[in-house]
Amino acid sequence: MGKVDFNFKPAVPVFDANVELGRRHDQRNLKDTPEQLFEEMARAGVDRALVWHPNGATYDSMEGNRILQELIHGDSRLVPQFFCNPSFDDFDVFTRSVKDAAVRSIRMVPQYQHYPFREWIAGPWLEWMEREGLSLWLPTTHTVFGNTTELDASDVYDTIREHPRLNVVLSELDYRNVSWAVPLLKSLPNLHVEISRLTIADPINRFLEFMDDSRILFGSRYPKSGMAIHVYALHHMGLPESTVRAICAGNLERLLGMG
Amino acid sequence: MQDVPVVDFHAHLGNWGRFGMLDTPELFLKCMDNAGIDVTCLNCIFHGDSDRGNDRVAEYVRKWPKRFVGATFVSANYPEEMVPELERCFGTLGMKFIKIYPHYVGVAHDDPLYFPIYEFANDRGLAIMSHARHNFDPPSLSVYKRYEGLVKRFPRINWVMAHAGGGKNEEIMRAVRDFPNIYVETCGSRLPIGGVEYAVKHGRADRVLFGTDMPLFDASQQIAKVMACQISDEEKKLVLGGNAIRLLSLKL
Repeated sequence: MGKVDFNFKPAVPVFDANVELGRRHDQRNLKDTPEQLFEEMARAGVDRALVWHPNGATYDSMEGNRILQELIHGDSRLVPQFFCNPSFDDFDVFTRSVKDAAVRSIRMVPQYQHYPFREWIAGPWLEWMEREGLSLWLPTTHTVFGNTTELDASDVYDTIREHPRLNVVLSELDYRNVSWAVPLLKSLPNLHVEISRLTIADPINRFLEFMDDSRILFGSRYPKSGMAIHVYALHHMGLPESTVRAICAGNLERLLGMG
Repeated sequence: MQDVPVVDFHAHLGNWGRFGMLDTPELFLKCMDNAGIDVTCLNCIFHGDSDRGNDRVAEYVRKWPKRFVGATFVSANYPEEMVPELERCFGTLGMKFIKIYPHYVGVAHDDPLYFPIYEFANDRGLAIMSHARHNFDPPSLSVYKRYEGLVKRFPRINWVMAHAGGGKNEEIMRAVRDFPNIYVETCGSRLPIGGVEYAVKHGRADRVLFGTDMPLFDASQQIAKVMACQISDEEKKLVLGGNAIRLLSLKL
């Protein structure tokens, strides 16, 4: 007889590394308010969430980041992640905003924002992030109006290897991108993976065959996906508790300098 | 932890390198055990000569008869082979239901091309699993009307719409409510909030079948869609295994 857990609660603290907060312009998210997010977190047993605002990707990173801060409203359960567009943002204004808000991670969507992720454009920003100990999230895809743009793996390889002290997270890596993501993760030891779309069979153990658990981050991709689904799954993959603990919160805390 | 019969209605055999999909018995059994799955229904759709894949499925079932159930795949690209292969699969290989994949043919599954399969299944009261719609369907297609026609013509077939139990489609749920032999299966790459819950509440709890799409997708993630949704424990038991056991007359 199969064994399932109708009364499941996570056994470890959970810090979600990928949560979209706020309204989108191109569709109505099923859940888009802080109150709905808190409700989902409570139901799933998620203690904290790293949150970003969609406007920062689509139109104006500075404005999206400001809206994000309004929505967070100082609640310590929500940790802000700022979007950055190195082809558009003013370097001094942006870096000051990051410092003022005590933000510890940056999100970039180069293909969607129409710039190549190359050293000659992103380099100065990445150098600054290395100096400040900030981490970079790179979603492998970004979808607006149903149209998806994909990260260029060769650009990531060429650019990130120039910044070996920068911690970079491949976010929303899905099964269609595993074929290039695995060799990329093998090649770049400072590259991490966030698992919200990693739906291949036995995903964590497949990655632990060539990298250690300190490079894997729990993320849900809420509200596109349910937090509780991901938390339950991660606790039922036959992983040691130390690995679940690291993936669920410890690794993200370390990348954000909170551990 | 609770002891509950769990049947995965939708899994595949075969490697698929471009998606990192790895098929080994060890991986299957480990993922099944981690997720709490008793029995997985396997099909192999990766070969034009469908007997090759069906033999592979039968080999798994022979080696692990308590863990795997076979589903037959026949290719409509070779219509002359369909019925003989069905006769072989149900006559000697002990298969339990039929999987078709119209994407390979570019012809939707309400086309007469498939009718020999349906006549075979209708005579025996078998289940047939297929995607409910295809990327070559016209945008105006009514899935409801498609299945209304199929149900009327082949009333003894139990129709399983692959993936349709994990999303939110009122037209499909109307078909589930209106017709006595329509089922929806839950697997998919997306893990949306409330997907399975929608199928149970807007369709019927006794027509939703848990599936994983293993090894393309992970069993623990797919079962978590059922475990995390806001339906009763009794409804979850039906989705996890009760419905499949009834539909396939399985003895666990």
